[in-house]
Amino acid sequence: MNTHVLEKAPAPPAALPPANDQQEEQQRVKLAKNGDLEAYDELVRRYQERIYATIYHMTANHEDANDLAQDTFIKAYQALKSFKGDSSFFTWVYRIAVNKTINFLKQRKNKTHMSLNDLDFNAEHDADLVALISEKTPRREVNLIELQEKLNVAMQKLSEVHRLVVTLHDVQGLSHEEIGKIMDCNTGTVRSRLFYARQQLQAYLSDYLKSP
Amino acid sequence: MNPSPEQFDRLRQLLALKRYEQPPPRFFNHFSDKVIARIETEGLVMRTSLWGRLFPDLDAKPVLACVYGLVITGLLVIGLGVSQSLESEESNAPTLDTPWFAQTPGPAFKLPPTAPVVRSLSEQTDSTSSVIPAFPGTAPRFLFDVNQLKVERASYSVR
Repeated sequence: MNTHVLEKAPAPPAALPPANDQQEEQQRVKLAKNGDLEAYDELVRRYQERIYATIYHMTANHEDANDLAQDTFIKAYQALKSFKGDSSFFTWVYRIAVNKTINFLKQRKNKTHMSLNDLDFNAEHDADLVALISEKTPRREVNLIELQEKLNVAMQKLSEVHRLVVTLHDVQGLSHEEIGKIMDCNTGTVRSRLFYARQQLQAYLSDYLKSP
Repeated sequence: MNPSPEQFDRLRQLLALKRYEQPPPRFFNHFSDKVIARIETEGLVMRTSLWGRLFPDLDAKPVLACVYGLVITGLLVIGLGVSQSLESEESNAPTLDTPWFAQTPGPAFKLPPTAPVVRSLSEQTDSTSSVIPAFPGTAPRFLFDVNQLKVERASYSVR
C-alpha cells in the first residue's frame, strides 16, 4: 500500500475535547440518539482519525484498520441508546474500538501477515528523527525503512494489551487516566503495563537504541 | 534489565515515528460517508417514537422521569378527590337505600269496586286438604322475605 506523505510528524491528538466541545458533543449525541444521522456523521468525523490510527497500530494493516474502524462506528451507533453519558463519548467509542480490535487479533493469531507502510518521505527531514539516527544509533548505516520495520516487528511481539498501552500512550499521546478508563483498569496497572512494554521493546531494539 | 529514563526517551522518539504511518490521501474525506451509508443500507437508522419526540429527555434523565410520574400521580389523586366530592353532593338526592321490592308502594292505583276480590292464601286453604299452609296467619310482606318463612312438616293422607 502506498504511503501518505506528510510535511511534519503529526502531533499526538488532543485527548479529551475542551469543555465547550464536550457540551456540543453531548448535544450531538442526543440528536444522534433521536435518529439524526448528520449529528452522528459529525461525531464520526471528529474521532475517525484517532480511532483509525489506534486500530492500525494494533493490526499493522490498513485494510483491517479500515474495516474495523467502520465496524466500530456502526457498533457504536447501534449501541448509542445504551450510552448513558457516564464517560465521554470519546472514551466510550475508544473502548468499543479496543474490544473489537483485540477480538479480531485473537481470531487472526495464526494468520500473521503484515502490510506495514513505508515511512513518509518527509519523515527523513524530521529533526528528531535525523538526530536519533545519525547521533544516537550505533549502526549509522541503518535507514528509516529498516528502523521502521524493526520497530513494527517489535511491536507485534508484544501482547495485545501491552501493544495497546504503548500505542495509546506513546503514539496517540493519551494520559494514563484516559487509558485506564478505556481499558477499564486503574492507572497503576496502566503504568506497570507501560513500563513492561517499554522494557520489552527496549530489549528487541537494543541494537538501535544503545548509547554511542 | 533496568533501562534508564534516557533510554526510554529514545524509544519514545522512535515510537513517535509511527505517527507518520497514514492511510492513502483523502482517505478520511469519505470515511464517515461510508459509515453512514452502511448504517442506512443495513437498516440501522433509529426511528424515534412519538413519545421520544415529545419527551426526549426522559430516557437520559431518570429524575425528570420521576417528576413526570409524580405529576401524573398527583393529577390522578386530584381527579379522585373531585369525583368523591361530587358523589357526596349527590347523596342528598333520593337513593336506593332499601331494596326496591321492600319499598312501600304509594297510593297510586285503586281497584275498581267491580273487580274480583282476591283472597289471601290462608283464606283459600281447604280444610280437607292435606296441605298445611306453610304460611302462618299472616302472609309474608313480600315474596322472598326469608325471615317470615318457617319450615314445617307436611303430612299426606293416601286414600
